Amino acid sequence: MSLRDHFDAVTADTDRADGLAVDRDKAIAIAVFLIPGLTLFTIFSVAPIVYSAIGSFYSWDTFTMEHFVGFDNWIRSLTDPLIVNWSNMREFQYPMGALTHNLLWVVLHVPASTFLGLALALLFADLKGRRILRSMVFAGFTVPPIVIGLVLMFVYDPQAGIFNEFLRVIGQGHLVRNWTQSPQVAIYALIAGGIWVHTGFSMLLYSSALSAIDPSLIESAKVDGANAWRRFWDIIWPLVKPVTAVVVIMGIIWVMRMFDIVYAAGGAAGGPNHAYSVLGIEVYRAAFRPQIDYGMAMVVALLQLFIVAPLALYIARMR
Amino acid sequence: MTSIVMEDVSKYFDGGQTIANYRLTLEVVDGEFLVFLGPSGCGKTTALRLIAGLEQPSEGVIYFDDERVDGRSPSSRNVAMVFQNYALYPHMTVAENIGYPLRVRGVPPDERDRKVEEVTTLLHIEDQVGKKPAALSGGQRQRVALARAIIREPSVFLLDEPLSNLDAKLRQEMRVELKRLQNELDITTVYVTHNQEEAMSMADRVVVMNRGTIQQVAPPQELYERPRTAWVARFIGSPPMNLFEGTRRNGSIDFGEAGAVELDDVLRVGDTVDDEGSTAAPGDGDTASVVTSDVQGEVALGVRPEDLTITTSRPTAGNVIEGRVDTVEPLGEYVLVNVTVNDQLVNAKLADGTVSRDERVYLTFDDDDAYLYDENGELVN
Ligand SMILES: Nc1ncnc2c1ncn2[C@@H]1O[C@H](COP(=O)(O)OP(=O)(O)OP(=O)(O)O)[C@@H](O)[C@H]1O
Ligand SMILES: [Mg+2]
Repeated sequence: MSLRDHFDAVTADTDRADGLAVDRDKAIAIAVFLIPGLTLFTIFSVAPIVYSAIGSFYSWDTFTMEHFVGFDNWIRSLTDPLIVNWSNMREFQYPMGALTHNLLWVVLHVPASTFLGLALALLFADLKGRRILRSMVFAGFTVPPIVIGLVLMFVYDPQAGIFNEFLRVIGQGHLVRNWTQSPQVAIYALIAGGIWVHTGFSMLLYSSALSAIDPSLIESAKVDGANAWRRFWDIIWPLVKPVTAVVVIMGIIWVMRMFDIVYAAGGAAGGPNHAYSVLGIEVYRAAFRPQIDYGMAMVVALLQLFIVAPLALYIARMR
Repeated sequence: MTSIVMEDVSKYFDGGQTIANYRLTLEVVDGEFLVFLGPSGCGKTTALRLIAGLEQPSEGVIYFDDERVDGRSPSSRNVAMVFQNYALYPHMTVAENIGYPLRVRGVPPDERDRKVEEVTTLLHIEDQVGKKPAALSGGQRQRVALARAIIREPSVFLLDEPLSNLDAKLRQEMRVELKRLQNELDITTVYVTHNQEEAMSMADRVVVMNRGTIQQVAPPQELYERPRTAWVARFIGSPPMNLFEGTRRNGSIDFGEAGAVELDDVLRVGDTVDDEGSTAAPGDGDTASVVTSDVQGEVALGVRPEDLTITTSRPTAGNVIEGRVDTVEPLGEYVLVNVTVNDQLVNAKLADGTVSRDERVYLTFDDDDAYLYDENGELVN
């Protein structure tokens, strides 16, 4: 080893040590500032999850944990017709079970609110006064969901509801009914209301994604000879794809955790004979309404978590 | 094979509040390389976008050959455009970007690939075809934008300051390359720039614009030799022409304390230039009456810095203007001397700087090198 090499090695060493020292300081600083957040996260997220994960394997006397019962709670809950009602599903009769209803929300609500949001965003993109319109649509999303549920009640009210009035005005009076209390149609009425509310959110996300697209890209496509349809599919759609992923997943999470709208419309039972109950409602009833079945509440809550958590994680990991 | 004609084309924005272009009348000959030159905000981009069809004129008519195209979409005009920021599609590879105009036109993939290969070879970017635009350097991006523009043999080629994002050396290279490409393809080209050197070196003809209007349309040489307005004179050249402000009294121009210059000497300039066959502006031919008529008014006498000579003792004959040396800038190639004449700063380019600060000097120039602009800033022949 020449003197020169030796010298280089020494300086390199000190460099590395310095780097580590800086990293350690940083790590400490990060840890210090994370403590409040992590504490809250542990108390309000991790602890309940762990608690219910353990509790779901025990039998319960109201709120008192008794003894280990293995998968009893799980089997009882998953075969409960309130969660999945196989025989009604075969006949397409509501109620079909809370989980089924939740999935129906996913299948209908998520694509509809996504596409409507994109369509509105495109429509508002080159409209005068788009800011006002945009904030009006978005206002629907800032209102607490329980208020939305109440607004939907008003919309669908059999006597004073504007929806029935609207049907009468357009000469479809024979369709008039008590929408939230008719088992076979109530869930669709609620989903329609949910779409109406949630579209504002996806529109807002799409709006900012659209305004982030360099207008010269669209102009360039025009010059290249692309018509509006091709410009959408070749340029706009691929460029807003990351936002589509967010909108879709947030939509799924939103409907999987659905509670307020259903509660406002159908109370703790989730409609007449549980016609449009969802998982959130079942958790609430099992935990807080007699007959209290704490074990089942935990299982259903975990079921919700299993569906939602990976999606949330995916969004968190994006970019 | 397309010529472009603009007739009285105006473009207003914000309900007439902003006048981006005002009464542009212009003909671009088939195969010509025409450059729009002007300061920032003078309406060059707007003019280009009007030709492209990305904007529609508020007034006036645009023809491609004999067809009226205003009101038509960009794609139906078959123009190709290179945007200032290149506007490459970020989610497509280089090959997909270049092939996009063909894909839109339904050209089969085989032929598309062949064409892409052809133009990428022409522009030396064949190694980049698989990359996304974000992975390219500025010069490579610019070539991709060019390739996308030339792949479908457009009728008109429009470029909006395509070199402004490149460093000086690359800009120089691309300038030569662009000019060569245009010669080879022989496509009518309209090029926008605020860089004078770029305009002068590439253009067949230059359109000088200011505040939305066309000031002069001329080949680079003529633009330099015969700036038609005082504004153009002050804009072209580096440093630009000096304009000595004076008062015209019958046969001479009075510069107050700085002296006076005989007008008929200067005005002979116009005649000589005309004899050389330069394109004459309308309304000339009455120089005699201009000289003899008993008029007074503010005028400006233009002399280029390179045509001024400096002496420290008063010359006995010729055109002499007196001044005081302000600063001397030795620039290596030449020495730039700034002289104060009646509170006005003028420059002279000298081979060597023998004068010093605050020295009293005399600026002299040949009759042939002087330009006279009337109070409206128009060149007096
Ligand atoms: N879409 C628009 N809306 C309103 N005003 C506009 C619009 N486009 C251009 N203008 C105005 O028109 C004028 C000319 O603009 P233009 O972009 O043509 O200038 P330019 O010569 O290209 O300038 P630069 O060299 O800075 O690119 C400017 O005053 C600009 O503010
Ligand atoms: Mg511009």
